[in-house]
Amino acid sequence: MSAALGNAGLLIALVAASVGALATSVAIIGENRRALRQAPIYAAIIVAGSALAVVAMQWALFSRDYSIDFVQRVGSSTTPALYNVAAMWSALEGSILLWVIVLALFTVGVALRFAKRRDDELVAWALVVMYVVMTFFALVSFGPASPFAPGATVPVGFDGPGPNPLLQNHILVLFHPPLLYLGYIGFTVPFAFAIAALITGRVGEGWLLETRRWALLSWGLLTIGILLGGWWSYEVLGWSGVWAWDPVENASLLPWLTGTAYIHSVLVQQRRGMLRVWNLSLLVATFALTILGTFLTRSGVINSVHAFAAGEVDGYLLGFFGVVVLVSLGLIGWRGDALRAPGRIDSPVSREGAFLANNVVFALFAFIVLLGTIFPLLVEVFQDRQTVVGAPYFDRLSMPIGLILLFLMAVAPVLPWRTASAGTLRDRLFWPAWCGVASLAVAVVVGADGLAPLLAFFLGGFAGGAAGRQLMLATRRQGLRGLVGRANGGMLVHIGVILIAVALAASNSYTHSATLTIGRGERVEWSGHSFEFVGVSTEVTARADVVMADVLLDDTRVYAPAVTTYLQQGMTVPTPSVRTGWTSDVYLTIDGNDPPATDADEVVLRVFVKPMVLWLWIGGAVMAIGTVLSALPSRRSRRPTDPTSALITSGQHV
Amino acid sequence: MSVPRRLKAWPSWAAMFVVAVALLAIGSTRDSGPLNPGDRIDAISRRVACPVCDGESVFESRNPASEAIRAEIRASVYDGVAADDEILSAIANSYGGKVLLVPSSSGFDALIWALPAAGLMIGLVGLWFAFKRWRAEAAALGVPTEGDYDLVEQAREQHRGTSDD
Repeated sequence: MSAALGNAGLLIALVAASVGALATSVAIIGENRRALRQAPIYAAIIVAGSALAVVAMQWALFSRDYSIDFVQRVGSSTTPALYNVAAMWSALEGSILLWVIVLALFTVGVALRFAKRRDDELVAWALVVMYVVMTFFALVSFGPASPFAPGATVPVGFDGPGPNPLLQNHILVLFHPPLLYLGYIGFTVPFAFAIAALITGRVGEGWLLETRRWALLSWGLLTIGILLGGWWSYEVLGWSGVWAWDPVENASLLPWLTGTAYIHSVLVQQRRGMLRVWNLSLLVATFALTILGTFLTRSGVINSVHAFAAGEVDGYLLGFFGVVVLVSLGLIGWRGDALRAPGRIDSPVSREGAFLANNVVFALFAFIVLLGTIFPLLVEVFQDRQTVVGAPYFDRLSMPIGLILLFLMAVAPVLPWRTASAGTLRDRLFWPAWCGVASLAVAVVVGADGLAPLLAFFLGGFAGGAAGRQLMLATRRQGLRGLVGRANGGMLVHIGVILIAVALAASNSYTHSATLTIGRGERVEWSGHSFEFVGVSTEVTARADVVMADVLLDDTRVYAPAVTTYLQQGMTVPTPSVRTGWTSDVYLTIDGNDPPATDADEVVLRVFVKPMVLWLWIGGAVMAIGTVLSALPSRRSRRPTDPTSALITSGQHV
Repeated sequence: MSVPRRLKAWPSWAAMFVVAVALLAIGSTRDSGPLNPGDRIDAISRRVACPVCDGESVFESRNPASEAIRAEIRASVYDGVAADDEILSAIANSYGGKVLLVPSSSGFDALIWALPAAGLMIGLVGLWFAFKRWRAEAAALGVPTEGDYDLVEQAREQHRGTSDD
């Protein structure tokens, strides 16, 4: 029953999307306004069909409908209800279904948002692009990655293994993947409008303004999704890190990098009408990289702990990636003359010059991440040998890039458009620079060492001072409303990024660890903390046996790192226990995979003292708030055709 | 010149520069002593891939193969092996070069270091050419005349009159 309903839902979505794409295209070409006004109806049918498929899948998971192959693999009567919901995106087919429903929601969102402009060609072509993308994913979900494919006959009393144990022991599993998908898929909207602008020839700034908030919303959701992934890794995986430069993590970072470049460079186009080809290319790259990332994650071509088991979708995804790139580049080439910028950047020392530098750095960063991610593939193809590229490579190359970006964040906010004089820079950067020196002094006083982290603290303080200066000026003029709007909300986002950068510099540079063997009742001192092994406690459920080593930390509170044995899978998962603090975390985990015996005389712990980790999450929250504020309209909204802030006079360049 | 403006004059910047450089020099050259054994074991194990896992380092992985390599690293550190590279070479000899997470800088692998450098050069050269072209275009337009400024001012006045703000 669930399978029939689910398949019916997917078929409805597939037919509605493909017919919608075709009928709307014909209506635009034939200038049939009546037919054009019906274009959004297909979006409503798509979302209804997709919702039916998702409800059918959830019902199948909850009712343990083992006639379905997917449920046989990820369903279990012992999985708690919340993780049963998340089981849908714990394997390839369900993850594509999640993609389908999220894309359907964005499609209907576009149809509703632009309901009054249904006969506008730009909107109609954008809907066609959304329908084409929807057709592809509905086709994949209905065909090679069907979550409703029938399973083998199972014996009476059969119970599935449930999702991977790592995906059922932390609440963040419920939020991290959907938010990531919302971010990925949200970029389909600006991409669709970009393609529509190229098709219609309306390549001015109109489509940018239409999609600014969609791009910002998608970027914000992708940011939060990535940060929640880091938090999940920290709380669950037991190695005390938040980012491992794993290929799948990199696949999420790539569109974030190009998307970040886009939301900066788009300001130059809105303000000066420039960088049209570049902005279109960044949007195409962002969308194409989400497809490439999906291919890398689901094709099995790259080894990753996060990757789904290899399915039959790799050819489809690679083909779609190729089509997206070729069609987009073809359209950009076709509209080449119309895309020529009417203006020019007068001086590298200007706001737009800083955005350009920012874009070059982000593009280089994305190139490095992409190269490092696919390099093992290239080596295998050209040299027929295996190699791995890991965190040390990415750390080495991303550190100078991070420092350059912090410098740009310090300087760019105070730069006027068009050009800046040396006097302007001297006045506006004075206090921000002192903030940097103060931050550096504090770091040195508390014992920080090493050139790279010290530079990060200096530039972090400098950039924080620049962002704070802008916010102070804005709130002095407008009160709390000065925090709202693109520029000022953006400054809040900068402060969030700076907090994260400084926290990463501190935690990566000054983490200390040790393996401590502690006898029962014994008290061990290490790194300014005391650890006393109190005993072993257990929790037994139908799903898992949890064995915890109770450790009294600093004579204040008992922490309980654990080893959980999932009975259905026969898999043990060590789970850390963390004392979070304003200045540092104490991270405890049981060494090895084996749970300690209940009467163990001693326990072996891996202990990490990690500075400033809490500020990563605070920085993430500040970024989220800043993104929302920057999406709200400011009181002094400026038209993109408004005059720029500085007149050029001879001799003013610096 | 007001006091705040005087404060922001170049001598204050020079003083700030001196303070910043002094702080950086003090912080980056201070001797914080050798790494403790635990930190050194972590630093080395971050540079070695788990030989049987999917893309995890020995530092991250809980696989028995990783535990074994970590034990080897721990033993080498406590045996007093002086150089990290020596320990890494011994591991590469045992498990093959593919367990090293930092690609070498020779042969085909050198591309992974050379291509980002080439990308940076292309970006910088591209920017240089773009600004050269823009400057040439600006020069071709000549210096704006009083008449040009009047036209702009008229347009701004007209815009203010029609602006929604």
